[in-house]
Amino acid sequence: MKIQIESEIMNRIQIIGEAAYPEEAAGFIFGLDLNGQRIAKEICEVRNSKENGKRHNRYLITPKDFFQGEIAAEEKGLEVIGVFHSHPDHPDQPSEFDKEWAMPWFSYVITSVEKGIAISSRSWRLLDDRSRFQEEKITSVQEKLEK
Amino acid sequence: MTTLKIPSPLRAYTDGEKQIEIAGKDVGEAIEELIAIYPALKIHLIGEDGELRQFVNLFVNNEDVRYLNGTRTVLGKEDQLMIIPSIAGGSEADVKIVKNRVDYSNLKTNQSLIILLSLISFIFDINWIVAGLAFSLILGSILKQPGFAFVNKLIFYPISLVKPNIIADSSKPHLFAQSFGAVVVSLSAYSLFAGLVVIGWSLLAIVVLLASLNLFFGFCLGCSLYYWLHRNENSKSEYRFSGEK
Repeated sequence: MKIQIESEIMNRIQIIGEAAYPEEAAGFIFGLDLNGQRIAKEICEVRNSKENGKRHNRYLITPKDFFQGEIAAEEKGLEVIGVFHSHPDHPDQPSEFDKEWAMPWFSYVITSVEKGIAISSRSWRLLDDRSRFQEEKITSVQEKLEK
Repeated sequence: MTTLKIPSPLRAYTDGEKQIEIAGKDVGEAIEELIAIYPALKIHLIGEDGELRQFVNLFVNNEDVRYLNGTRTVLGKEDQLMIIPSIAGGSEADVKIVKNRVDYSNLKTNQSLIILLSLISFIFDINWIVAGLAFSLILGSILKQPGFAFVNKLIFYPISLVKPNIIADSSKPHLFAQSFGAVVVSLSAYSLFAGLVVIGWSLLAIVVLLASLNLFFGFCLGCSLYYWLHRNENSKSEYRFSGEK
């Protein structure tokens, strides 16, 4: 499994994570999935709707925001292919809570933000049987050119 | 027939269909019918308790069925039923694991420099490098961090030559392995300064071999030894064997 995310988009995901610190940031990844070739084209930051005092370790995107996100993606000829969020002072790995609430098929890009600095991001997908997440490789066109 | 709209993450299970026509008389029947047509959807819509999963929201003509009559909300021909998920997550559940995390980039840098400095000391026959290596590993063991972690912090991370790779893992086996290495390198340095050249270089060769095994094959013998020594304590822990990734 792979997802192509250009460094410019990844930088923005990490900047959003840093700006939200010490709270969690979240948003949609708009893109295309062409027979398994998954490409992130844009991101859309979404308000973390979790109540005050819980946003340091929780994020929530409401059904209304999800619905609007899907419409926004479709208007651009894209679809919502995933969700990004940050883990303040925690690793870039999905938690049990992430798994419990995860949608299948989506790419979940998690950024670890340590003391306000984004240090790493990884992408994950929930297996069809919901047993666990599997990491998917993040690639970029730039990376291919350098090779 | 009622139109049922499918959100993007579930379309992989509906042959890419964004919406389908459903004959169910109420919301509950409509969902049952959907699952009957696309059985792979069930696990994602229905929890182990038989109820709709907490992130599944059902809307009839933009009204959340929770504020109507729940799954008994009656559907008419012109009605539109939508499945709209809430997206949520967060890091808290892993508090236990998060307390145990290791920056594997520091370990790799540590192993690389141990190998490099050992080879330089042997090739140019400089005993003081071995002594310096022993000092760094001892200091790292006392400070409970890889002896050469400071190289990443001060040089490699700032210039982005190496990126942190933090993984949920216990640091104890790695510190044990380093402490073991510190003892062997110290004995090596002592032997070299005492004129026991063959013993000194042989001990250093063992350290280089073990560091190479870890660096190139992901097998940490010292960690394995740690787990073996603590096998009874760890029988119920979430620690994993280093090298069993």
